[in-house]
Amino acid sequence: MIDARREGLLGRALVLFHGVEDLFLVLLLLAVIVLAPLQIFLRNFFDAGISWADPLIRVLVLWLGLFGAVAASRGDRHITIDVASRYFSAGLGDALRLLTSLFTSAVSALIAWHSGRFVIDEREFGSTAFSGIPAWIPELAIPVAFGLIAIRYGLRGFSEGSHLLARARPRGTTADERGDGGASG
Amino acid sequence: MIVGLLLLLLALAGAPLFAVIAASAMWGFAGEEMDLSVMGIEIYRLAETPVLLAIPLFTFAGYLLGESGAPARLVHLTRTLLGWLSGGLAIVSLVACSLFTAFTGASGVTIVALGALLYPALREDGYPENFSLGLITTSGSLGLLFAPALPLILYGVVSQQMHLDEPVRIDDLFAAGLLPGLLMVVLLSLYSMWRARGKVERAEAFSWSEACGAIRAAAWEIPLPILVLGGIYGGFFALSEAAAVTALYVLIVVVGIRREIKLKQLAPIIRESMVLVGAILIILGVSLASTNYLIDTEVPMRLFDAIRSQIDSKLTFLILLNLFLLALGMMLDIFSALVIVVPIILPIAVGYGIHPVHLGIIFLANMQIGYITPPVGMNLFIASYRFERPVLDVYRATIPFFAILLLTVLVITYWPALSLYLISD
Repeated sequence: MIDARREGLLGRALVLFHGVEDLFLVLLLLAVIVLAPLQIFLRNFFDAGISWADPLIRVLVLWLGLFGAVAASRGDRHITIDVASRYFSAGLGDALRLLTSLFTSAVSALIAWHSGRFVIDEREFGSTAFSGIPAWIPELAIPVAFGLIAIRYGLRGFSEGSHLLARARPRGTTADERGDGGASG
Repeated sequence: MIVGLLLLLLALAGAPLFAVIAASAMWGFAGEEMDLSVMGIEIYRLAETPVLLAIPLFTFAGYLLGESGAPARLVHLTRTLLGWLSGGLAIVSLVACSLFTAFTGASGVTIVALGALLYPALREDGYPENFSLGLITTSGSLGLLFAPALPLILYGVVSQQMHLDEPVRIDDLFAAGLLPGLLMVVLLSLYSMWRARGKVERAEAFSWSEACGAIRAAAWEIPLPILVLGGIYGGFFALSEAAAVTALYVLIVVVGIRREIKLKQLAPIIRESMVLVGAILIILGVSLASTNYLIDTEVPMRLFDAIRSQIDSKLTFLILLNLFLLALGMMLDIFSALVIVVPIILPIAVGYGIHPVHLGIIFLANMQIGYITPPVGMNLFIASYRFERPVLDVYRATIPFFAILLLTVLVITYWPALSLYLISD
């Protein structure tokens, strides 16, 4: 009972999070679609422009890329070399997905950690990006996005792992055979 | 070395390429005892490259157009204008798909969006089944060389990171792609006319009233290629400006005027298009880091010296380059191939006296064929899936088109003037 409710709560939280994520992408893109032509209009017809618009647009593009990448991790839709997977057996495929998910999660976590250190340095250093906005604010998106990607692939690895275990268990095999069964079955 | 091999195996096992590239960059930096917080600095360079603005804007505009009624109107329009030719509908397919791919950047969208309209129409007009299948599969990646196709932009961005003596300008790339791209369309059209002769009875008569009707129906879409292509090729617009105007225009027309997409449907379309943008930009971001590492450690120069000691002539180098790129095109999609391979081969090619803009056109033309190269070209699988035909049938159906494109790639490779003729000095 409690488990189910927690699952429901978790599920709802996940739906909410996905909604927020989509909304964020929509707002970022719409901001770019409004700001960029506005800037062209001002430049060509009034020989003027908003001083913060160009740097802000560039930051928005970075954010679109980063959070687009977060969205791509949701369904494991990052660009891969899709050559060998067609020839894998189901079990080997599961095992390799576990491996590559954990690898991706670890690499992303490492980037999140080190770029996070970079952001903290920048904050202490007090450099500004544009119009008095501290540089660490636009930069913060890098550790946040890679952190989210790390979490997503970590969870994916976790579910692949339990998938593998579930596949092996009903046969009542021992731990040794379980690894073997995962690789060949 | 062992780490490199492990990373390669991980990539082949299906690990996302951004993670593989990032891992190799970080491994390299760690080996040079550099602080890894440099990754943050390198990725942030995405925000210091103004032309990247064009990527989300064109991608969004392309996805939105693809979901609207624009593909159907485009097919109807080109059909009334060109349908009277022998092989007219085949030419319609080639032209419509090229235009569509130029705007959406060859991600398989073309086969799905236009193929579904064109394939049944071709069959209805009596084109042989295999011809139709091969034609649509091939058309799916045609148009990569026309502005404002994303791969051209991305080649420009990547090569600008290389600090060549002569920086590659994106408008030069746009100009350079025009004639090679037209050569492909024209040769494929001639082949289609030849195949259609006598077999396809129903060449439709040209009718002014129908043409006017089709033009009126597409009145909102017709200004778009004129605006973008005329603006860019004519030098009136910078690329990012053209992208900004296009995205706003398409949004207003599709959602505001035609109301083919409701506001509620907009969020999923934005999300879908930004997934592609994110997948491309994150690879670009981490490869900015790995490229810098490559340059710092002079890998391309050492590779060049090694190759130079084996291969003297530019011609031999070009032949090997073609073979290498064809194989690459089968394995990697065009975007990751660009960011991974261009930083390595560009300095080598320049060392052999190849113009960087020409190399870009060679690269993309080869990659375009890669989409339809058996056994693993991506469009072969998309077409097989979309038209429910065994992939072996698709291989067979595509072979004549593959041969023609291979011929054009050879012409493009060994006749630099075709690409460089239109470049302003």
